[in-house]
Amino acid sequence: MELLITALIIAAVLFGIGLYGALSQTNLVMIMMGIELMLGAAMINLVAFWRFLHPDAFSLQMFVLVAMTVMALEGAVGFAIATQRFRTSGTVEMEESAELKG
Amino acid sequence: MTPFLTVFIITLLFLSGVYVAAVMERWSVTGTVNWAGPMRSFLLLFAQEEIKTRKHDKVFFETAPVLFIGVILLTISILPFGRDSVIIDLGTGALFINAALVYIMVSLLMVGWAVNGVYAMVGGWRALAQLIAYSMPVVMALTATVMRAESMFLTDIVESQQGLWNILYQPVGFILFYISTLAITFLPPFNLPVAKGELAGGVWADLTGARKLLFRLGRLTLVFTISAAVVVLYLGGWMGPWLPDFAWTFLKTLLVAASFFAICRFMPRIRHDHLLEYNWKYGVPLALYNIFQVGVVLLL
Amino acid sequence: MISLQLILLIIFGLVAIWFGWRVFMTSSMVRSALSLLASMVAIGILFLVMEAEFLGVLQIMMMGTEMSIMAIFMMMYMMDPGGLGQMDMYHQKNISIAAGVIVTVLIVGAALTTDWGTIATQFPGPHEQNRLLGMEILKRSMMIFETAGVTILTGMIASIAVALSIKNSVEK
Repeated sequence: MELLITALIIAAVLFGIGLYGALSQTNLVMIMMGIELMLGAAMINLVAFWRFLHPDAFSLQMFVLVAMTVMALEGAVGFAIATQRFRTSGTVEMEESAELKG
Repeated sequence: MTPFLTVFIITLLFLSGVYVAAVMERWSVTGTVNWAGPMRSFLLLFAQEEIKTRKHDKVFFETAPVLFIGVILLTISILPFGRDSVIIDLGTGALFINAALVYIMVSLLMVGWAVNGVYAMVGGWRALAQLIAYSMPVVMALTATVMRAESMFLTDIVESQQGLWNILYQPVGFILFYISTLAITFLPPFNLPVAKGELAGGVWADLTGARKLLFRLGRLTLVFTISAAVVVLYLGGWMGPWLPDFAWTFLKTLLVAASFFAICRFMPRIRHDHLLEYNWKYGVPLALYNIFQVGVVLLL
Repeated sequence: MISLQLILLIIFGLVAIWFGWRVFMTSSMVRSALSLLASMVAIGILFLVMEAEFLGVLQIMMMGTEMSIMAIFMMMYMMDPGGLGQMDMYHQKNISIAAGVIVTVLIVGAALTTDWGTIATQFPGPHEQNRLLGMEILKRSMMIFETAGVTILTGMIASIAVALSIKNSVEK
């Protein structure tokens, strides 16, 4: 029981750090780093549930593979958006991207 | 075999193999076979003064050579040299080789950034592009060998080559793996990251003394490890008529390393855009075709 | 009951948390990207400690490539990649600290107060795991796998299309 609780607490702290980073940084690449930390914390949770509660249900490992796919894809699309943003306005700071603001 | 004897034999073969690879590297550059050359270079670089550039990045400067060598030593400990001569028999051994090659790329990036010099940084980015590109056919060719063995244990992959070696069963895969791993060890003709003429030494331009020694030694151990991986995956590992297991692995590894250095000697350096074009436009589709072909032959 | 697995979990968990914290506390950009890599490697080692061998090696391999690409993108787009000039890069700092702490406390509270049931002690070895994962992918989760494949293809096409530079031709 302590093993499961330890793993869940570690994942919770990582999730909190990732949320702090995603909300407080002004640069798109740093926000993406925060999102990656949050996804990593979710994956720790999933593996802990697989190992300690249901070791015979391999659909949980499939879930982890899907989460890794999502990490890679949001990195790719996020960098493409950052590239285009840099081309049109010369910066990727989110503070200066307020053109659509009402 | 007792574990201690296993580790002792593997270490002995490893060190002598790296020494022979160093002699071959000197042959590939100058054309003469000089058996005392590596010892002299080793002592020279060991005793040289260490010059650190101004405002270098301390953390990466110290970490990069250690990461480079540490990863290669981990890889050599999972490769089987004989039927039960393997230090760690990892359950996902085939994937681990690819993971280790990725950290070679990370350490080259670190050292290119840490030295705070233009040529080193450009060499680092070139290394990034080249090694990411050539990791793709490596992992796909590995998948094809794992498909034949139906297991990721490296000893099982060698056992599955009882009837027919993988080089004849999957020739396209062998050629792709050979060329891609030659590109990953950044030997000539793929040595743009450490180009002597074009980039004034590239990633290694501002390194002297013990650090440069670690990198050059690391590259030779990488060549030896990659040759051992080629032998295990494609050339039947330890199978042979009358010599013991590890002797056959050692001889085949030296043969593959000699062929690497022969290609080094006789081919010019490939241009950067041709390098990436050959990989993405021709290499990756060929690797997918290889997986398809192996699947069809397995199911027949 | 202190077992080796618990000690390893705590050590590598603390390593992951410390490197995750350093990502946002350092001002050099490449150090930040590579510190995130170290945190992800620690997460991969946590997977290995929890006996999910394939997932651990896969995580370590993929994160190496991804964080190196992140490092080069930071070099391209940030104003001060070396971090030698001191700039403060935050906004709404108090709100984000409060959000992080509140969410962490909520999750830990949920973890401590739930009844998790019996802890399983029998789990398959690595060879069995690979085989069973493969069976799972190709039997029950085949639809999910194919959807992931098509999603990757869509992501590739979308990112290339977004990143192309369309120059407006001169009006004749």
